[in-house]
Amino acid sequence: MATTDMGDMLEESLNKLNVTTQHPEDFLSLQDAVATDYTSLTKTLYDLLKAQEPKVYNGSPLVQLVVKNFDEEQIWQELELQNSAVLKHFGNAVDDVLSDETVSVLLEEYIEEEAGDKEEGEPVESMDEEAEEEPRSRLKKMSDCAAEDYTDDDSDLDFDVDALEKREKKKREPAGKHSEMKSRPSELDDMFFKLSEMESFLDDMDKQEGKEQRDQNEVNYFQDLPSDEDDDLDLEKISLKKDTKSTARSSRDLKYKEYFDAVDGAVAEADEKSDSEDEDGKEEMDEEEMDDDDGDLDEDLDENKNMNRDSLKKVTFNLSGDEGSEGEDLQDIFGGKNTSPVKSESKSSYEKCQEKMSRKIDELEKAALGQKSWQLSGEVTARKRPENSMLEEDLDFEHASRKAPAITAETTLQLEDIIKQRIKDQAFDDVVRKEKPKEAVFEYKKRLTLDHEKSKQSLAEIYEQEYLKQTQQKAEEEENPAHVEIQKLMDTLFLKLDALSNFHFTPKPSVPEVKVVSNLPAVTMEEVAPVSASDGTLLAPEEIKEKNKAGDVVGVTEKTSTDKKRERRHKKKVKHFKIKEKEKKLKLKEASEAGNNQRLSKAQVKENLKKVTKGGKATILKDEGKDKALRSSQAFFSQLQDQVKSQIKSAKGQPPKKKRKEVSGSKLKL
Amino acid sequence: MDTATLTETGASAGTQNDTDSFVKVKSKKSQKRKRAAADMMDTEGPTASKRPQFPPISAEKLRGSDQMRKVAVPAHRYTPLKDNWMKIYSPIVENLQLQVRFNLKTRNVEIKTCKETQDIGSLSKAADFVKAFILGFQVEDAMALIRLDELFLETFDITDVKPLKGDHLSRAIGRIAGKGGKTKFTIENVTKTRIVLAETKVHILGSFQNIKMARTAICNLILGSPPSKVYGNIRVVASRAAERF
Repeated sequence: MATTDMGDMLEESLNKLNVTTQHPEDFLSLQDAVATDYTSLTKTLYDLLKAQEPKVYNGSPLVQLVVKNFDEEQIWQELELQNSAVLKHFGNAVDDVLSDETVSVLLEEYIEEEAGDKEEGEPVESMDEEAEEEPRSRLKKMSDCAAEDYTDDDSDLDFDVDALEKREKKKREPAGKHSEMKSRPSELDDMFFKLSEMESFLDDMDKQEGKEQRDQNEVNYFQDLPSDEDDDLDLEKISLKKDTKSTARSSRDLKYKEYFDAVDGAVAEADEKSDSEDEDGKEEMDEEEMDDDDGDLDEDLDENKNMNRDSLKKVTFNLSGDEGSEGEDLQDIFGGKNTSPVKSESKSSYEKCQEKMSRKIDELEKAALGQKSWQLSGEVTARKRPENSMLEEDLDFEHASRKAPAITAETTLQLEDIIKQRIKDQAFDDVVRKEKPKEAVFEYKKRLTLDHEKSKQSLAEIYEQEYLKQTQQKAEEEENPAHVEIQKLMDTLFLKLDALSNFHFTPKPSVPEVKVVSNLPAVTMEEVAPVSASDGTLLAPEEIKEKNKAGDVVGVTEKTSTDKKRERRHKKKVKHFKIKEKEKKLKLKEASEAGNNQRLSKAQVKENLKKVTKGGKATILKDEGKDKALRSSQAFFSQLQDQVKSQIKSAKGQPPKKKRKEVSGSKLKL
Repeated sequence: MDTATLTETGASAGTQNDTDSFVKVKSKKSQKRKRAAADMMDTEGPTASKRPQFPPISAEKLRGSDQMRKVAVPAHRYTPLKDNWMKIYSPIVENLQLQVRFNLKTRNVEIKTCKETQDIGSLSKAADFVKAFILGFQVEDAMALIRLDELFLETFDITDVKPLKGDHLSRAIGRIAGKGGKTKFTIENVTKTRIVLAETKVHILGSFQNIKMARTAICNLILGSPPSKVYGNIRVVASRAAERF
């Protein structure tokens, strides 16, 4: 009774689900109505389950799933509560099953089916979960509530309906194909490799080839073609498929094989084939036949799945992948390219390694010896390289000048903002007129400046000020010596700071200063002064000797007539001037000394004498010693008298003798 | 008088002993008058040998009648006089202690001395002050005449310098004035004078030297030299004048 009810309910829910998922494309957008449906569905299923749950489970304490006013996260938590509780139980159950020898672990499909039988209590549950899985698996973008329950745990629990369906559909593989691998131990066997396996694989391959001939023309209509759009979906499918095959195993038993492709394509194929034989109704048969050049992840996983459990133990290196680029390597890894189809005998790993190495070495040698690409061959003109190849090259060269700024809409906007801000601030970068600093000559005399405007002061005030200036002498304000010193120090400091801080610094104009220069020969200066002293302070040659107006110095023989005349004139002028000066001085002297009335000095007498004799007014009587008259003044004068007398006499001559009074000196004395 | 007595005593002494002491020789010229005076004195009497004693006369008695000066006011200066009357009135009355009034009938400014006047010269100063104002100078400038003794006022006609007629005359006036009065002000500032240009007449107020400088400058302008040249000249002259003091 209960079961029939349950069955009805389940049927109902299934129908409901089917209805809602008629158009999976609706789920691309938010579907609130459907969401509520799903929530209610979940609730009913949960309640059913809980009702049916055997005591062994130790499930969650919640008898009913509370969904009213609960958001999806909370509902999820509730379910998880249930799941985690029963997970342990299921784990134990699985372990028991595994350890049970009566059940073969290899036969995965059967295991699944058996598991399905075994786990009686579970079909309902699993059905529930399946039902929920389906929409989720098909449609990625679903609203919250529906995507519950499918957790990352238990591959054990999952029962793929799809896989089941497909399996039922495609039972191409004859069960007879299934061959049990009889493991025969051999010398070469190790963890990954079994000789017997290899042999069996090879046999299979031969058979396969035979079959291929027949099947080339047929198209498999039931084949599941993986499409590019449904990548994710396929991923799910694949993962599900993967999980279906390994229902008997837990996630702990995942192997290398499931993630990586076999190295040897043939070996992989053999494995794949064996896998396919093992698992009847595996659809991936044709998929593996297909070319995997696109390297889809789904295909990779398909093939991984297809590998037999025995081949899981094998780790093969994809030697073929090394020949191509890295991308290709990846492809090989993931895509499982069918390269080097024919390998008569599989070599040992070491041999393969060596082969690879040698190939690489050859390659490198060839590259080294051969011609280099144009990028590496020095100076290349346009002819030596292919057309427009420079455009693809990233060249590095020095930029001599700064690049012009790229003008974009952004930069223009920025500029405009700056301009507007500047206008608001009135902070214009006006060009300041450069002025040449005038060298102001220190004017000893103050220059009178003309004022063209009407004077502010009246005449009375002007005269008043003048009067005040004349009469009152304003005492100069005596500056505090400390102030003076401070001012000086501050001036020097500010000068230095200005020089450091201003871009447009103009130095102070130099003030002419008086310097005492001693006209010593440089040698003496250098001797006494320290090393740092220079001879720049000495007088210049021009300051010692006046240069000629013409500029050059001419020697005696080099002088022209004009030069000589000029010199002569100059000399005369100078001499004349000197004489004049002397006379002036003499006159002044005589005028000042007129009172003293000194006797004429000897020099002066001499001069007078010279003057007189030159003029011819008088003659000097030479003293030869003969003449007595010159010995004494009396004699001289008496002689003089005589001479005069005689002259008179001669002059008079015949005229009558007049009585001349004897002129006596005494009478003449007055 | 004294000399006469002295000579007398000297003479007496001389008659007494010729040979003993030094005898001062009497000059003949001076002797006569002195003697006459002595004789006259002797005839008058011994008591009246002093000068006449005149006690000092008080200022009031010394003071003559009040003097008056009149300054005629032309019509165009009537309003400015009215406006500045207080400024003219105050210094004359307060500082110079004179009496001043404006005779409306005769349109004259009359200045008169009074009891309080201390300095008789202030009358002429006041008259000059008013006259200067009437000629066209500013009150403050004219006031300098009161304050300073050595300021003078000179007037001359442009046609005195050079006979100009019509446009030439106008141009000469324009040259003196300059654009906006620039040239005139320049001369005023440099020479420390005040110049008034009244149609064809030029009035200069200032000290003697400065008047001369300004006059030279203005005459040069009338005669036709450009203002820049005149500036240069006056600048030189003025600096030289300033140096001297």
